[in-house]
Amino acid sequence: MNVIEINHLTKVYGKSRGISDVSFQVKEGEIFGFIGPNGAGKSTTIRLLLSLIYPTSGNATIFGKDVVKYASEIKKEIGYLPSEVFYYDNMKVKDLLKYSASFYKKDCTKRIKELAEIMELDLTKKIDDLSLGNKKKVGIVQGLLHEPKLIILDEPTSGLDPLMQQRFFDLLEKENQKGATILFSSHILSEVQRLCDRVAIIKEGKIVQVEKIRTLKENNYKKFKLETISELDFNYFKVDGVNQLKIVGKTVSFIFKGNINTITEKIANIEIANLWVEEPDLEEIFMHFYQREE
Amino acid sequence: MNIVKREMKANAKALIFWCIGVLVMVGAGMGKYAGMNGNGDTINELMSEMPASLQAIMGTASFDLSTAIGFYGLLYVYLIVMATIHAVMLGSNMIAKEERDKTAEFLLVKPISRSTVISMKMVSALVQLLVFNLVTLVSSIIIVERYAGVDETTGTIYLLMIGMFLLQVLFLIMGTAIAVFSNNATKASAVATAILLLLFILSILINLSGNPDLLKYVTPFKYFEAESIINHHQLEPFYVSLTGILIIALTTISYIYYQKKDLNL
Repeated sequence: MNVIEINHLTKVYGKSRGISDVSFQVKEGEIFGFIGPNGAGKSTTIRLLLSLIYPTSGNATIFGKDVVKYASEIKKEIGYLPSEVFYYDNMKVKDLLKYSASFYKKDCTKRIKELAEIMELDLTKKIDDLSLGNKKKVGIVQGLLHEPKLIILDEPTSGLDPLMQQRFFDLLEKENQKGATILFSSHILSEVQRLCDRVAIIKEGKIVQVEKIRTLKENNYKKFKLETISELDFNYFKVDGVNQLKIVGKTVSFIFKGNINTITEKIANIEIANLWVEEPDLEEIFMHFYQREE
Repeated sequence: MNIVKREMKANAKALIFWCIGVLVMVGAGMGKYAGMNGNGDTINELMSEMPASLQAIMGTASFDLSTAIGFYGLLYVYLIVMATIHAVMLGSNMIAKEERDKTAEFLLVKPISRSTVISMKMVSALVQLLVFNLVTLVSSIIIVERYAGVDETTGTIYLLMIGMFLLQVLFLIMGTAIAVFSNNATKASAVATAILLLLFILSILINLSGNPDLLKYVTPFKYFEAESIINHHQLEPFYVSLTGILIIALTTISYIYYQKKDLNL
């Protein structure tokens, strides 16, 4: 069963931003990644799902119900963490969470305590006095306290330190095991790779690709940069899987996709002065997608 | 009900300050009357010697300033201005703040309809207007009666306050409508207040020209004027109906448009 179904969803804003003809489905019990560079239309899509804004054309359903028509009914079972968390400044964390809980016909007191403990959130502080990371924690607790069946996260990790990020991921995995479906939007490929089953890639308001994360993982992209001792023949690194090869003097850089051993072997056979291997950022991987389209 | 409670809490401090403000206004204003009391006729003489335009601006018109209620009528214009500024700001802020402070992403993803959100906020705002109005009413009755001596003025004050409440509600919903239709949440309050001041200035201009014609329907500040209420002991039914119609119309379009609005986040 599909928890989220998006059909040819289009939103035209006055300016050029917006999304056009976005379609994808999220199955029940899935952790679905929604990835794309900033400004690609991730938040717009999510806000359409939450009917904070309304589509120009196309439609979307959640739990099989139209998101516009049944907005308030659907939202009983949705937990949402916005990319930037803003809350009523003059409230204490505890009061805000209670206020949030008061919209659901459930007793969430116990759950609030549990979540606050896991995320190490001080409930007695004023929201105004919290750091960005702590505000994010409030958002996390706020989004999960009513044990929603669908969790929608928009850039949830920004501002969290690595330890908290880890705990948060564990928490999500636990929720997922309990049956929650998760839509996870991010511009960081590695975190989506870690957590998600499938992923939709969006760029400039259009879905470029929907694929299984396993496929993306097989396509293990690495960014190589190395400095050689002597100048190198340009064709030396022209092997399968090497993209965007650039050689400037003694500096060589390229993106590699495929069996990492073939490339380390290549590198081992030459004298190098320095070596960097990095995760390519999304832009660079998208370049690859674009090339494939053409 | 949770939203009503939240709104009351968020606005409690501001409401207290507004109430103190209006208390000071009534107290200090009528204090002036006490200062001049006893030589009442001289005030009237003084006023009548002022140029007509200045009289119009001060709103002294045809009040008998030697009586407490006449003097209170002069004060009433300023009470109305205060009450309506409070109302229009409350109305625009309660909608605009959710978009301005980005809390709409919190509130409007809860399982409630947008109509419920407006309704709850409206209930809270009406309670606040009522508090403001009652504080003005009670303080006015107490203070004016002290000078008037007899309680024949009380009925008039009730009428004046009913007129004020109608205007409060009208400007509340006007502020709400402006915020609902505005695409810039940070400016909504300023725009609403500016429109209010324009309408007020218009009412003064009408007084100045002495030729009200159609414009008097445009500015609500001409609907319930102290002069006519004090002299005729009634609110003009036509304006009561007009206010009612405006309130219903603005409320309806606000609900409809807010339901369809793309939030600016």
